[in-house]
Amino acid sequence: MTDVQTQPAISTAQPEDFFQLLKPRVMSLVVFTAATGLVVAPGSINPLVAAIAVLCIAVGAGAAGALNMALEGETDALMRRTRGRPVAAGRVKKNDAMAFGVILSLFSVMLLGMNANWLAAGLLAMTIVYYAGFYTLLLKRRTPQNIVIGGAAGAFPPVIGWAAATGQAPWQAWLLFAIIFLWTPPHSWALALYSAGDYAKAGIPMMPVAKGAKSTRLQILLYTLVFVPVAIAPAFVGLGGLIYLVVSVAGGLGFLGLALRLYRSRAGDEPDKAEAVGREAALYDVRAQAKPARDLFAFSILYLMALFSALLVEALSGLGA
Amino acid sequence: MRLTPEELRARKRRNVWIAAALVAFIVLVFSTTVLRLQQNQASERALLEAATGTTAQ
Repeated sequence: MTDVQTQPAISTAQPEDFFQLLKPRVMSLVVFTAATGLVVAPGSINPLVAAIAVLCIAVGAGAAGALNMALEGETDALMRRTRGRPVAAGRVKKNDAMAFGVILSLFSVMLLGMNANWLAAGLLAMTIVYYAGFYTLLLKRRTPQNIVIGGAAGAFPPVIGWAAATGQAPWQAWLLFAIIFLWTPPHSWALALYSAGDYAKAGIPMMPVAKGAKSTRLQILLYTLVFVPVAIAPAFVGLGGLIYLVVSVAGGLGFLGLALRLYRSRAGDEPDKAEAVGREAALYDVRAQAKPARDLFAFSILYLMALFSALLVEALSGLGA
Repeated sequence: MRLTPEELRARKRRNVWIAAALVAFIVLVFSTTVLRLQQNQASERALLEAATGTTAQ
């Protein structure tokens, strides 16, 4: 009886809730990296075609996010970082989120195919299926390598941008893919080191949960040792110029320094005291020991933005290699 | 079924946004079609010029 009275007859979800389903923060990074791929690709592209292509890639990525939230609603509700999401909080029904994601996926892929070319559209479709299907449904709960393999989904946008501009996806585009792909594990595991309790509660085998903090810190360092040279590589293969070289080397050294500091720290070792007493701690309200992890997480975002900004600035100003 | 004012308001706002999104989609498809036509015409003209060795009027 009470249920009948409290349950709304129709959805009371607001447009803002549906916008949140698109993961706007992730979308902004997608827009940025896709636009960079599109701009640094050789040749010229009509500005309107370019703008529509970037919009399609952004909406496609958002659609993948909506599908992810629809499929992960129950898990999201268990974690502090995600419990406010529209499906987890009960503001949007799972089926509505699913329908929203499917419709946006179809429209964005179709429009990208019509506007740019079908290679770009195919890559976008593959990215959506990879993220929502392969990563969310299969990988995430099965292996601590989830973020390594699943990270490919976030690395596709510059390749799609490049393909939209040229109709091809040469190795230079895949170098941009490799930068984001190798950047993802140290970035995500740094975050996981100070929110491992949440992941454990939700039953997600993130690296610190499955292998422990010490192993995670070592793997972050090892990935960083591979990532930094790859991040610098565009300066030596004709993709980046002097600005890119300076930014990638200086930032790379900073990244390496922070990864080394994290490796030597005890970040992630102790149980979260805030959780132990059941206090509602904010995500960034972390213990002092976790500071190196938090610093690396913040710096990793800054470094990736700086790398792609340098490429973008050089391409737009003609200062590139 | 009687809807509450809150439900009605939410539905109206969603409908307005759906309408706006549909209009935006129509504009994008129209723009894409026009651009494609222009590009095809330009490449056809270039092919004709290459074949005849003259500048098309």
